[in-house]
Amino acid sequence: MLDRTELSKAYFTRKKIAQHHIDSFNVFLEQGLQKVIDEQGFIETDIEDIEHNIEPVKVKLGKIRVGNPVVREADGSVEPLFPTEARLRNITYAAEIFLEMAIVRGEVEGDYIEVNIGQMPIMIGCAKCNLARLGPDEWVKNGEDPVDPGGYFIINGTERVIMTLEDLAPNKIMVEYDDRYGDQIEVAKVFSQRRGYRALVIVERGRKSILEVSFPSISGRLNLVMLMRALGLETDQEIVNAVSDDPEIQKFMLENLDEAEADTVESAMEKIGKRVAAGQAKDYQRKRAHYVIDRYLLPHLNPENFERLGPEDPKLAESRISKAYFLGRMAEACCELALKRRAPDDKDHYSNKRLKLAGDLMEDLFRVSFNRLTRDIKYQLERANMRNRELYMITAVRADVLTERLIHPLATGNWVGGRTGVSQLLDRIDYMAMLSHLRRVISPLSRAQPHFEARDLHATQWGRICPSETPEGPNCGLVKNFAMSVELSTGVEDEESIKKIMLEAGVRPLRRGVVE
Amino acid sequence: MTSPKRIRKIRFGLLSPAEIRKMSVTKIITADTYDDDGYPIDMGLMDPRLGVIDPGLRCRTCGGRPGECPGHFGHIELAAPVIHVGFARLLRKILRTTCRKCGRLLLDEKTKTDYLRQIKLSQQYGQPIDEIVKNVFKDAKSTTCPYCGEEQKEIKFEKPTGYLEDGHKLMPTDVRDRLEMIPDDDIEVFGMDPKNARPEWMVLTVLPVPPVTVRPSITLESGQRSEDDLTHKLVDIIRINQRFQENRDAGAPQLIIEDLWELLQYHVTTYMDNAVSGVPPARHRSGRPLKTLSQRLKGKEGRFRGSLSGKRVNFSARTVISPDPNLSVNEVGVPMKIAREMTVPVTVTPFNIEAVREFVRRGSDNWPGANYVKRADGRRLKITDKNCAELAEALEVGWKIDRQLKDGDIVLFNRQPSLHRMSIMSHFVRVMPHKTFRLNPAVCAPYNADFDGDEMNLHVPQTMEALAEARILMLVQENILSPRFGGPIIGGLHDHISGIYLLTKGYRMFSEADALEILSKVKLHELPEPAEVRDGVKYWTGKQIFSQILPKGLDMTYQAKICENCDVCKKEECERDAYVVIRDGDLKCGTIDEKAIGAFSGKILDRIVKTMDVQTASAFLDEVTRLAIRAITHRGFSYGISDTDIPRESVAQITEIVLNSEKQVRKLIEAHDRGELEALPGRTLDETLEMRIMQELAKARDAAGAIAGKFLGSQGDNSAVIMARSGARGSFLNLTQMAGCVGQQSVRGERIMRGYGDRTLPHFLPGDRGADARGFVESSYKKGLNPTEFFFHAMGGREGLVDTAVRTSQSGYLQRRLVNALQDLEVKYDGSVRETRGVIVQFMYGEDGVDPMKSDYGEGVNVPRIVESVVNGGESK
Repeated sequence: MLDRTELSKAYFTRKKIAQHHIDSFNVFLEQGLQKVIDEQGFIETDIEDIEHNIEPVKVKLGKIRVGNPVVREADGSVEPLFPTEARLRNITYAAEIFLEMAIVRGEVEGDYIEVNIGQMPIMIGCAKCNLARLGPDEWVKNGEDPVDPGGYFIINGTERVIMTLEDLAPNKIMVEYDDRYGDQIEVAKVFSQRRGYRALVIVERGRKSILEVSFPSISGRLNLVMLMRALGLETDQEIVNAVSDDPEIQKFMLENLDEAEADTVESAMEKIGKRVAAGQAKDYQRKRAHYVIDRYLLPHLNPENFERLGPEDPKLAESRISKAYFLGRMAEACCELALKRRAPDDKDHYSNKRLKLAGDLMEDLFRVSFNRLTRDIKYQLERANMRNRELYMITAVRADVLTERLIHPLATGNWVGGRTGVSQLLDRIDYMAMLSHLRRVISPLSRAQPHFEARDLHATQWGRICPSETPEGPNCGLVKNFAMSVELSTGVEDEESIKKIMLEAGVRPLRRGVVE
Repeated sequence: MTSPKRIRKIRFGLLSPAEIRKMSVTKIITADTYDDDGYPIDMGLMDPRLGVIDPGLRCRTCGGRPGECPGHFGHIELAAPVIHVGFARLLRKILRTTCRKCGRLLLDEKTKTDYLRQIKLSQQYGQPIDEIVKNVFKDAKSTTCPYCGEEQKEIKFEKPTGYLEDGHKLMPTDVRDRLEMIPDDDIEVFGMDPKNARPEWMVLTVLPVPPVTVRPSITLESGQRSEDDLTHKLVDIIRINQRFQENRDAGAPQLIIEDLWELLQYHVTTYMDNAVSGVPPARHRSGRPLKTLSQRLKGKEGRFRGSLSGKRVNFSARTVISPDPNLSVNEVGVPMKIAREMTVPVTVTPFNIEAVREFVRRGSDNWPGANYVKRADGRRLKITDKNCAELAEALEVGWKIDRQLKDGDIVLFNRQPSLHRMSIMSHFVRVMPHKTFRLNPAVCAPYNADFDGDEMNLHVPQTMEALAEARILMLVQENILSPRFGGPIIGGLHDHISGIYLLTKGYRMFSEADALEILSKVKLHELPEPAEVRDGVKYWTGKQIFSQILPKGLDMTYQAKICENCDVCKKEECERDAYVVIRDGDLKCGTIDEKAIGAFSGKILDRIVKTMDVQTASAFLDEVTRLAIRAITHRGFSYGISDTDIPRESVAQITEIVLNSEKQVRKLIEAHDRGELEALPGRTLDETLEMRIMQELAKARDAAGAIAGKFLGSQGDNSAVIMARSGARGSFLNLTQMAGCVGQQSVRGERIMRGYGDRTLPHFLPGDRGADARGFVESSYKKGLNPTEFFFHAMGGREGLVDTAVRTSQSGYLQRRLVNALQDLEVKYDGSVRETRGVIVQFMYGEDGVDPMKSDYGEGVNVPRIVESVVNGGESK
């Protein structure tokens, strides 16, 4: 028999206690930061003056780099900072962030200069932490508890943990029954998520088995067939095949095809234009319809940097087809539920949950804060230009803008997007309380409502969530704690390699072209 | 001081512009508040005629100093009328139902008078007229005016304060013009009184400015003044009003005028209510939304619920509670520290002057002393070390002193949530050392208190009336019977019941020394004749010992809790000693258990309260608890893991039963799968299977429990069995789960179903419906649960936790609604239930006129008891 002591030793080490926080934050430092910078790419400015022969100016963004935590003394000297000192002196355990920036005038690119754009709070025990490569003796020498698991931040001397948030899995189709004026209807929902933006798309099968879609920025619902047609599936056959090859479901689709009010891609798009921009010029309606579809409908299927693509870009056309097929899958799920071929999805099943860890949350925060910084840089550059000064990146960047925006949410727990209680004061009542706090998971569900099912201990929590540890009272079952044996993966950014593996494993693409 | 006045009637109405001007003491024209010297500017928002808040100034209207002057209203003349948000919806209805040309109600004369008659009639009888008015608004929708024949256009309402007529904007002036045309008669049809509320008054032309006392400014430490939110808002209104006026006078283009008008409307709207949907809330410089008029009044922290209904008191104390069985139920232990702080007013009379003088002489540091004296001229003097002797000498009849709390004072004791009247009861004070309130554990039941950190409040009554009420109505002994079911809510608990059970069960013999030791805490002068004398040594039975505390004259016969309801009751010869007979305060036979002295059931206590008096009852309660504690300490009582031990044969039997049941379950499933299972009426096949399995497993658990119970029960002196039998704590189910088998775990009444697709846990095969795969725990708590069992148990346990958490929040809300609905009902002396106006709700309270507290478990008359007392010679009353 397997020697299980080795196994349990591997699980029950002190190192593992806050490892999920540390791993997640490391991934953020290594990849997340650069990803946010690359999304931005450039900072555009409005500096352009044809009369005075001033060429348009923009700033190119290069590599981002985070240093080690330091403290800047009043006399200007910079010293490495250790957590204990930060705690005792009520200062923030943070490192400087450096970003390569280059001014681009017209076609002429300047050289990259590395600019300090602000300070990043550093998690105790992460790769950038000054304690990272030190042994236990050196921890003690630097005033640190050698059995401290790390995984938290020090903001103005207070220790703050970023809570692990439990959320419904994004980009996953969930079917359930719903009620519409006393009638039972079948709906397929998906939280489509792309970067910080989250859009709920619902396909529902109404009373007369007409399929309709609703998504943000449109009021009411759109006819599914019409929407799929507008997305580029012109013929009835294409649409039906995109939904299902099951004859019974295809029968459902026939009724829907009759209801469709447009038979060409163009006319379907026009119809949508009428809905999203009623009473406007035809041309504007078309533009608006494209904009709404590209931006608000299933944003997770959009190509990289879709905002910068023109409405006629082939990449966008391609993504619209993908969206049509995705809607088809949602419609199929609805019909299957109606035919009792599948049961409604269990929202409390842990495979339908995703955990947002410190790294993910810091990424959201950094994205918004960095956006602010770019706006400020743009303003500073324009102002400098107005006063006919030479443009220098060093002077244009006000590092405080970013620092303040990163530290304030951590200090108060008021995260971007209006979520509160994201960061909490680390519970130091005793060692166990601290360990438990670092491994806590909170659910965004309101504690005011009963939510009986969400509070239940679900069998899929076996091995992941502790069956015993949950508070009594209004938070019962909504606040959870990790089981000893839990292992968290940090997610995979590279989708292409996954696609490749799946194709190799025998998955057939839904249609040619979606997956090369 | 003005003479007190009685309010006969309150009439609500709208302030008319004329009335606003009339009550105003000044017109406000400048948005500035203070000049450079810090003195309020005339005709500014802080005009001294509006009242004063700064010390040293006098109100220019009434001459009062701050604190004396209630404040006076001013007014702002609005350059253009604006809609009052609160009435915007009502105005829409009125605009839609009146003619756009002649302003008359769009109803023909006949229907109108008919409605008017209905309204008058309803008002006469004090009935609500809402329904009728609703119908008026519904009916009066004619496309042409029945009087002038004008065609009516559709009026659209644009939230929150705009009106469109056929797409054209109606300015507030237009609205006001139309409303002015409505004749008085038509207004009455809307259910309004035209003398007190003309609809055009809902369009403001003059804005009242509340007194400064309503919106006091505060001076920060830096010496900077910080104005109230309302003042900020009024500043905005005045500024825009001025700009509007200037622009209009200068002949600015219509577009600018309209923009300013809208801005004025916005400011007035947010001044009234800063949470109107569709309007961005007005914000402070810091970004915090302003708290304007409506926000001040609304909600839990608003003026009504927060300031007016929320009462604050002096003379109250709060601390942690802890138990003290040596106190009477009527007493409460008060820490010395609190006793020195809390006082009772005492008026000096010729009869008590010497006693009072002694309190004053002791001062405030020397308990029991006094903290203040109040001289005849009304001056209050603090008693200190220095002046106590002097004050004691000066003491005269007619003075009042604040005497420190001492033993025997009466105080109110309360624990939140105060859900029933027994949540506040009065107790006699016993001043004690340390820092907690002490109370007899028997009164935990009515307060629903325990000692895991609960805190309670204490109030000292300050007037003779309050004192009398506390003593006569609120004392714990007066509340032994619950008005909920007419039985005692207070009684012995846990060890009291085990102790008295062990003492009285059978015929245990006690030597003189033992008997006296057990009775040592009880008031007793001599022992009765011994029951037995063996070898020259006197012995008394436990029953005799117990009888010593029973009041003389008590007669009762009943079956104890341990009675098993045999087909033929052997009465006095019962082998379980379950037939209780008490004659003249002497326990002849039977065992005293939960049914006799327990909280919620105690028959003896019940009988004493009902046939004798409450003092006897509380004295009995105090004595029975002391006696029981003595009795149980004398014998000794403990419980441990080994007390759940059962012999190997029993374990084998239990295992076999469980295995058999599991086999049965498998058979049932197989039968179901083969399609041989027959559905129960009204159930599907799957439901039937589930029910049958549940039945089977419940049977197994019961059988396992029976085996464990039989063995443990046969031991006789097993503590758990004693506790379960006597009703002290725990049940046979608990015993079964500890020693036999824990049994089926369930979530919402079903076996555990949810989990992975087709199975609950990955430890089972998909589709497995067997006992163990669906949460049947065959182990006992003592043996320990295996991992899957433990997990299922946690699932079942979680449901219980969630239930408790959700229930507490819901019951609080339910309580609030119930109290709100019933608080004004009163039982009058004629037995009828009436509300405040005297309207009868019930002709006789509860329709039978029975006071449930004085009833016998809800029944007005206890016939068997009367029969019994007659048969036994009519001894009891």
